[in-house]
Amino acid sequence: MTDTQTTASMRPATTQDVADILMDAASRGEPLVVRGNGTRAGLGNPVAATRVLELGGLDQIDFYDPDDLVIRAGVGATLDEVEQVLAQKGQYLPFEPPRYAGLYGTNGARSTLGGAVSTALSGPRRILTGAARDFVLGVEGVNGQGDVFKAGGRTMKNVTGYDISKLVTGANGTLAALTTVTLKVLPAPRAEVTLVLPAATLEEDVALFARMRALPLGLGGLARRVNASGLCELLVRVEGTVPGVAGNQQVLNGMLATRGGMVVLEQEQSRALWAGVRELDCLNAKPDELVWRVNLPATTMPAFVEQARSAGCINRFFVDWAGGVVFSTMRGVQPEVDTLRYRKMAEKAGARATLLRAPDAVRAQFGAFPPVSAGVAALAARTRTAFDPAGILNPGRMTVQA
Amino acid sequence: MQMPEPNQTIISQRDALAQGLRQIVGKDWVISDDAQRRPYQCDGITAYMAMPLLVVLPGSAQEVQAVLRFCNEKGVKIVPRGSGTSLSGGALPLEDGVLLVTSRLCNVLAVDEHNRVARVQPGVPNIKITEAVSHLGLCYMPDPSSQLISTIGGNVAENAGGVHCLKYGVTANHILGIQAVLMTGEMVELGGAYLGAAEGELDLMGVLTGSEGLLAVVTEIAVRLEPVPEVARVISMSFASVEEACECVGAIIGVGIIPAGLEFMDRKVLDAVSVLIKEKFDDRTAALLLCELDGTAVEVDALVGVVSDVARGQGAIELKVSTTEEERQRIWSSRKLAFSAIGKLCPDYYCTDGTIPRNKLPEVLNKMADMSKKYGLDYANCFHAGDGNLHPIIMYDAAKPGDLEKAEEFGADVLIACVDAGGVLSGEHGIGVEKRDLMTHQFTEVDLQQQQMVKCAFDPKDLLNPGKMFPTLCRCAEFGRMHVHNGNLRFADIPRF
Repeated sequence: MTDTQTTASMRPATTQDVADILMDAASRGEPLVVRGNGTRAGLGNPVAATRVLELGGLDQIDFYDPDDLVIRAGVGATLDEVEQVLAQKGQYLPFEPPRYAGLYGTNGARSTLGGAVSTALSGPRRILTGAARDFVLGVEGVNGQGDVFKAGGRTMKNVTGYDISKLVTGANGTLAALTTVTLKVLPAPRAEVTLVLPAATLEEDVALFARMRALPLGLGGLARRVNASGLCELLVRVEGTVPGVAGNQQVLNGMLATRGGMVVLEQEQSRALWAGVRELDCLNAKPDELVWRVNLPATTMPAFVEQARSAGCINRFFVDWAGGVVFSTMRGVQPEVDTLRYRKMAEKAGARATLLRAPDAVRAQFGAFPPVSAGVAALAARTRTAFDPAGILNPGRMTVQA
Repeated sequence: MQMPEPNQTIISQRDALAQGLRQIVGKDWVISDDAQRRPYQCDGITAYMAMPLLVVLPGSAQEVQAVLRFCNEKGVKIVPRGSGTSLSGGALPLEDGVLLVTSRLCNVLAVDEHNRVARVQPGVPNIKITEAVSHLGLCYMPDPSSQLISTIGGNVAENAGGVHCLKYGVTANHILGIQAVLMTGEMVELGGAYLGAAEGELDLMGVLTGSEGLLAVVTEIAVRLEPVPEVARVISMSFASVEEACECVGAIIGVGIIPAGLEFMDRKVLDAVSVLIKEKFDDRTAALLLCELDGTAVEVDALVGVVSDVARGQGAIELKVSTTEEERQRIWSSRKLAFSAIGKLCPDYYCTDGTIPRNKLPEVLNKMADMSKKYGLDYANCFHAGDGNLHPIIMYDAAKPGDLEKAEEFGADVLIACVDAGGVLSGEHGIGVEKRDLMTHQFTEVDLQQQQMVKCAFDPKDLLNPGKMFPTLCRCAEFGRMHVHNGNLRFADIPRF
């Protein structure tokens, strides 16, 4: 499930090495697969290239300034290491980056910070604290001509020049080979609990999520899943100071009393649960199944899910972001037909359906990412040319070549 | 400050252009006579003025498209403008350019309570969004000081901040979708009206936000709405020295608290304010911090306790905590009146917004004292301490020959000191024309070229707001063939304006 046909990989240790490699490749118009350690290489379309530029060797932590809530590191620094360093000072990456190692059958301990920025994947806490793009303060990278550039900075506020840092976040390595990233971090909540309660219908559950979110209770996770015993349940994560969480829990108890059957998970149990939600564990995706993420307005989600299930496009699913995202599996029996049907269904519902995992041929044909309008596609193509005129950086990773 | 030479051929076509534009927006919405154009000569920086060729007020996104298409065909430049509150000259008109004003695009189009999104037109004043949803217990979080007047379209163009962005983030963190028109008149829809609507596409919305009107004209915005915090309380903390106040900023954040706002005022500001609010500050006070905490009542009470302890530990000589909303407003009034109070002390003042790592505050503030001596101009400090966003207020007298130039040089020195301390030229006001020529101090030629290449992808003819943000005009035709190494740009000696 990685990029096909690659035979050789280059693993530079410095920004200058990256620049040399790219200048050389640009001069010959040679396309390259650009990645960190390749743990999420199954995300996006397969890239037709014979050589891999692997940035995992740029793994230094340049500085970490807890009082200033900022860390700068090489793109190859592992998420595990970065999160450990932050945890020692009671801080964290608020966007809760998933590794998806289980999904892609890779080693999550090797997942890199640069990969988190380049894929812009955000975990369950996104509804409260924001997405990957909201925490990237600055970057250094090499464009497709081998030029080293920097953008952004290290301060919390910065409107100096175009926000290139946002542009490269989520660009999946198609604009530049990033070499270092500077991120805003936050103090981790001192206390967290998760309330687990039995699910009702999707409509009722989404309405309940909306009622809870209407109150300023600092809810850092609202999900609905099928648990290990096969029961459908709602997960409500409450975070904050110790007295704050206790107070908010009381408010929620009153609100949720009619549901009954509530179980409370404290601190460590709660953390372990959400780490699993972040990694989509509860999908139990079988090796031959396709895995989808659909982003949509929470209010339209129940009807969409019902329709997709009855059409056989959703096998198992769970809901996160208070109903605003559906992760689902699809049987791999007729992936081409079902992919097309599911995408059409999503488009009609005004949703965006991303194929998180599928055989190379399916992603190559239909694209892992949902199509955009012709005008936006053309603007995106011109923007890519502005960074990579020769088209050597992960060509086709995000777009299906016509 | 120098702008590109106006194109006399375009200026000579003024009447014909006005006629063409009237056919698009209607005869009442093209302003061509001198008296009515005059109010549009400058934005929030009154030191820079230019008479726009024409002022056009389109009444719909379709009219914006038609205006841009028309101007693109004729090779006429466009300067977009909301309410004109920019503090960096971002909406400074061009003598050979059409000023496109969004005032008529002022409707809140839809409020989606359950998905917590509002779709608004660019000319809606920031505060009007919150007013439109407050009955639902919701608000639009970013709150630039200009929020009564400044438009959401202008906020997007400048990626506006505000007092509460320390905890809640800046404009870019609250935008879910943008409809925008390129210079060719082509409309693009980026993201949409729900969280995650932009997943899996290049973050063009991210780069449009804060692009100062150089890339496209925004015609509709989908913004995130948040529940209004249950309570907010403010602590006023006095310190005997500027250093202690600065250190307290890091200490509060160091214990794991992100206040809703954390503001700094020095003694000069306090003295100016005390005249207006008729309240005396303790004689020993050299600097004051205002720290706002919000959330649920229980949580805020706990945080007030922790912050008070931290402040005492950092040597605070006096603490005042608001217990009612009225008290909170009264404590904040000193900060809200600060700039007008300073305005009464001197004929003119000049304020920039360089931003630095928080732990460099004492160092840069000390440098400012030296600069004040060097230029012989007085100054005061009143700024967003929590995010290191300085607002030095440099006092001068425009009537005195050379004073404005000295104030500008003083301001530039402060910005250079900010960059040298690891910071940036602008935290929230933008580059515009004001800081344009300092961009080379923060960025290498390669960095700037990469940014200008993005401009070429959006506006290859360089007709949208040219002369802003970059010290040189875009050379899109040449970029494709240029190759830069180690910061050595070919044509390095071309004239800058």
